Amino acid sequence: MTEEKKPEERKKRRTATEAASKIGPMVKASIGGTVQAREEGKPIAYTFICCCYDEIIQAMDIVPVWTENYAGVCGAKRDAQRFLERAESENFSRSLCTYALCGLGFDAWREELGEMPPEAPWGGQARPDMMLGSGQMLCDPRNKWYQAAQHYMPDVPIYDVGLPWPPYEDDYDYREVQDYYVKYIVEELKGLVQFLEKHTGRKMDWERLSQLVDLTDKTWNLIWEAYELRRAVPTPMGTGDAMNTMVPMVFMMGTQEGYDYYKDLYDELKRKIANKEGVIPDEKYRLIWGGGLPSWFALTDFNYFNSKGAVFPVETTYRMIEAIYNFDMDLSKITDPLEHIAWRWVKFWTYWHDRARKRPGSHPDVERLIKYIEDYKIDGIVMHEAFSCRSWHVGLIWQLNLLKKVYRNIPSLILESDIVDISSYNEVDTRARIDAFIDTLEAVKSKKG
Amino acid sequence: MSGEVTGGGFTTVDKYYQDYGSRARELKKQGKQIIGYLCAFTPAELITAAGMVPFRIKGDVNEPITKADTEMETIVCPLVRSCFDMALKGNYEFLDGIVIPHACDSICRTYDVWKYSLNLPYAHFINMPHGTGGASLEFYQEVLNTFRASLAKFTGKEISDGALAEAIKFHNQNRARVKELYELRKSSPPLISGEELTKVLIAAVSLPVEESIEMLGEVIDEVKERGALSAQKPARIMVIGAQVDDVAFIKLIEDSGAWVVADDLCPGAREFMSQVDVTPDPIAGLAERYLRKIKCGRTYREMEGNYQEYLEDRFGHMGRMIDDFGVDGVVLYIYKYCDPFGFEVPQIKSYIEAKGTPVLYLEDEYSMSTIGRLRTRIQAFLEMIGK
Repeated sequence: MTEEKKPEERKKRRTATEAASKIGPMVKASIGGTVQAREEGKPIAYTFICCCYDEIIQAMDIVPVWTENYAGVCGAKRDAQRFLERAESENFSRSLCTYALCGLGFDAWREELGEMPPEAPWGGQARPDMMLGSGQMLCDPRNKWYQAAQHYMPDVPIYDVGLPWPPYEDDYDYREVQDYYVKYIVEELKGLVQFLEKHTGRKMDWERLSQLVDLTDKTWNLIWEAYELRRAVPTPMGTGDAMNTMVPMVFMMGTQEGYDYYKDLYDELKRKIANKEGVIPDEKYRLIWGGGLPSWFALTDFNYFNSKGAVFPVETTYRMIEAIYNFDMDLSKITDPLEHIAWRWVKFWTYWHDRARKRPGSHPDVERLIKYIEDYKIDGIVMHEAFSCRSWHVGLIWQLNLLKKVYRNIPSLILESDIVDISSYNEVDTRARIDAFIDTLEAVKSKKG
Repeated sequence: MSGEVTGGGFTTVDKYYQDYGSRARELKKQGKQIIGYLCAFTPAELITAAGMVPFRIKGDVNEPITKADTEMETIVCPLVRSCFDMALKGNYEFLDGIVIPHACDSICRTYDVWKYSLNLPYAHFINMPHGTGGASLEFYQEVLNTFRASLAKFTGKEISDGALAEAIKFHNQNRARVKELYELRKSSPPLISGEELTKVLIAAVSLPVEESIEMLGEVIDEVKERGALSAQKPARIMVIGAQVDDVAFIKLIEDSGAWVVADDLCPGAREFMSQVDVTPDPIAGLAERYLRKIKCGRTYREMEGNYQEYLEDRFGHMGRMIDDFGVDGVVLYIYKYCDPFGFEVPQIKSYIEAKGTPVLYLEDEYSMSTIGRLRTRIQAFLEMIGK
């Protein structure tokens, strides 16, 4: 079989920015680094992205293994099926989160062999010394996955951090309850520090933690400013690239390397705008990726959109930051680092509440879409419903319905597949649906004249 | 019995099981306010204390899900989709409000879909934490106080400690009656079949607590009076799963030559076996029960001791029930897309098998067509356990 004819051969996605193209090697090095850290006896923790305690891990020099990421890498390399099948053979339903299934299948196999499974992508996922789950409104696997992993690693302790945030309700404002949310989160973070101290024998350096917390604030502001540059026409960076540039946002908070990465991205986007250098030279349609994680094995679909004249200047997915200076409180005045982290968490998740309150019948998730639609001059919305993940993929239909009701009708497309499980994906069908959507956009545009 | 039906407990049960929600509909006509809720994690005591009727929303395995798919993704657990479908089709038109607890992703992530689609006068999300430690308990008490204040705002009347204590007393009494009913399953053959018991519990969660207490009392008297069931079914089965709100699956097992004598289900043992302690602040007792006493995969129990002790803490109640009710085999009945239970399957299965009880794991999609397809596997399992 020639190289061209291999059906499963992964096509490399074309990136618009240099920043995005740096990510692959960075992730590879990060995963390789965890395997090496294991050999060197450094403390290793399984953990989840977007869990707000990044700086605590960094301040204690614990090596994080981002387990969702490793599953995503297996998916992107189109080498997840054997781990998914292993999990299924262990009696895990294939309808569960495929990040978790891939990780559990991998762990079961690694523990059985006593070494990495054969030809494990990028050297494999290192065995942890501890696992850090979280309890929150977002995602059940964040507290169930590691608990299930103990079936294969009963000696590995877990700490589960409670990280709730106030829901959006009609009969009370989140400010009425935020104090007890913050108090709880602080207690949970204190518990995390105690757990890490117990299992590593190290002591938290509180001063260092404070510095890293400040660094994260600065990085959030910088990311926000860099991403806002994408409002430009033509946009210098699309969602395809953002699915790469999200990596430091979720892996490297509280690190100088993370801050520097976004400084480079900011500078690069500025340069591109000055040169009027867009993702594509002739933008016909500006789209928002309005919900859902991407199919990591099919990121080239973004290039396909580009080939039809469509770009994605903005997305809600993995934009897990806001400008700290836009919050309704001055976080710099909160000197206790754990309190600071807790307030940042609560303010992030309630950021869009006030806007929603001003539009009768609206909701924060929809207000965010409206703001982006207006700021980024958006013509249509694309979402992705990944069958295995209820966290990010439930409520998409409702959001579109509500958007139409409280704002206006806007062309939309919900793609259906998965994050990791390639058997759910059909490229021909997906692209036929994209073609039909582009036709709709064109028809709307023609109508407008 | 203050309801319309007379003629004994089972007659009442049949009416309210067959025509689910009919009593709530009657009460609504009489001017009562009805609050629908999902899942055993809604503290119904607070709704009762607010002077309203808590009503458990259920699905229907016989009704194909159609309307729900236009507003809710099909990747949601089929039970929740069915419940929503029933609501959209007007089966619960009598509701004044809806309460949704932070149970699982399928329930939690659809709160806004329920709230905005049904657009009822009242909606509330109970943000229950996952953890069970001291900070989680304290936080949960605050969450319950927010719920209490929200209900009071809706009704225009504060919920006094006295009213809440009184409601807790009624709900405890109700649960004690269910526990008494479970005792009647221990004999061989049992005094009440699994199918009958399932009907009783489903009818019970559709009624105001006082009426449920009365109905359960009548059922207990009738069961005791009639004596043991006559059919010879050698195997005694326990069913473990999430919410089973129809008799179809239980009947399938019993039609295959076994009694269902025990469960860890909702409505079922998981929901009815633990009581609210009487505490100076009634919210403290409520929080303790719902967070720590109900053992469900949605709650993260912190590990203390070694791994084996951790399994005992999480699943020991299942093991004790197997012993107490003389269970020969366990059916682990899990819905597709169920995260809290789906991730526990290997652990529960190996825990129970290690104790010498065989386990059949079945994944289902909450519909009559899929339930029927499980018959052969159940028959093979019963043959395998040699009963």
